Amino acid sequence: MTETRQDGSAGGTSPATYLASVGTALPGEAVDNNTLAKTLGVNAEWIEVFIGTKTRHFARDLATGTVRWSLADLCAEAAGKALAAPGVDPQDIEFIVLGTATPDTLMPATVNHVADQLGLDQVPTFQLQSGCAGAVQALSVARSMIASGEYRTGLVIGGDVCSKHLDLQRDLTGAAPGDLVNFVLFGDGAGAAVLTDEPRGQRVALREVLNRFTGLGREPGQVIEWFGLADRHEDRQALREDYKAIEESVPVMAVEILWELLGELDWQAEDLDYLLPPQLSGRMTRLITEQLDVPTAREVSCVAETGNNGNALPFLQIEKLLEQMTDGQKALAVAIESSKWIKAGFALEKTS
Amino acid sequence: MTISSTDGFTLEHFTHLVQDELGLPVTEGQLSTDFDELPDWDSLHLLKLVTALEPAAGRSVPVGRVLEARSLKEIYDLAVSG
Repeated sequence: MTETRQDGSAGGTSPATYLASVGTALPGEAVDNNTLAKTLGVNAEWIEVFIGTKTRHFARDLATGTVRWSLADLCAEAAGKALAAPGVDPQDIEFIVLGTATPDTLMPATVNHVADQLGLDQVPTFQLQSGCAGAVQALSVARSMIASGEYRTGLVIGGDVCSKHLDLQRDLTGAAPGDLVNFVLFGDGAGAAVLTDEPRGQRVALREVLNRFTGLGREPGQVIEWFGLADRHEDRQALREDYKAIEESVPVMAVEILWELLGELDWQAEDLDYLLPPQLSGRMTRLITEQLDVPTAREVSCVAETGNNGNALPFLQIEKLLEQMTDGQKALAVAIESSKWIKAGFALEKTS
Repeated sequence: MTISSTDGFTLEHFTHLVQDELGLPVTEGQLSTDFDELPDWDSLHLLKLVTALEPAAGRSVPVGRVLEARSLKEIYDLAVSG
């Protein structure tokens, strides 16, 4: 049965939001640490132990620099799977929201190429420029649109091609560790979900979404540059992180997000059947999960196999979650975008 | 001049390696300083250090234990004694 949720107005309710299906896409074969270590001239065991990520996928052929899949290709593949799932009809899609930090071009927005590849037309499209919180932001926008009552079904997509900034053609012998580490941390991929105003397909209710900027006065923890004709020769590192700040802040923020979401939902930590922690790297995710300290919930992570592929991660986690989730079970996801310190998360509950 | 050495890989060699590979102006006297107190130290430096250490020391380095080390001296000890 379709539920409603309180919308904050006097006694008012608005349609609840359900996740009907999910689809994901990872480009090409998995690249393991030995292959990467040999190419980069670094120690493979270091990647394994320090980063804790075992494999990742790249849309770009790192040896030749050839682009094999665009972001639009990956997003369309993931969305195509979500649209082909049982209980979903592509003709029902009334809007599309894409979250990404690495669009193919600034114009047209990649979301429109995705719509084109999917054969969707005459629908509103939105693209959110965002890093690790983008997928959650897309869920938030979609939930608000469905809650408005104006739309009943929408397609939410998240994806990134981080390899756009991984250039193996240049001489890396003098590269700073903070530059080299990007090659082993990141990967490419995309994910998508169909959201509806009634339980269909997977029948998973989207109970809560958190998306909040908390970076007032704080230096960015991560910066991804973009270069134009006038500044493309400037010697700036394209992708850089403040690892000290990330290591210090992200675990603390993750715990705050967990408890804030539980409070909003009036759930207890023991009520959680699954926990979807932030996916920075295999090792960082392990450390954060320990600090989240919800031993009764089963961890659902993917980063050790997929690499950090940004906005694809929550969908990859949801896909793994849905393989296990049974009626009445609850899951909570925590995501943090360290660029300008955005807190994000969401809660799911499988309805009967 | 230092004294600790195994197979010729001395603390002096190690100090030069740290200076050259990491670009950190550390002195031999700072090798035992805790990483939290070492100016400009970043755990990412271990990527380059571990990679450079094995050929210099002439033996494989126990990476897991290196990551637990609290000072450059501890890493040197692991590199020469395993």
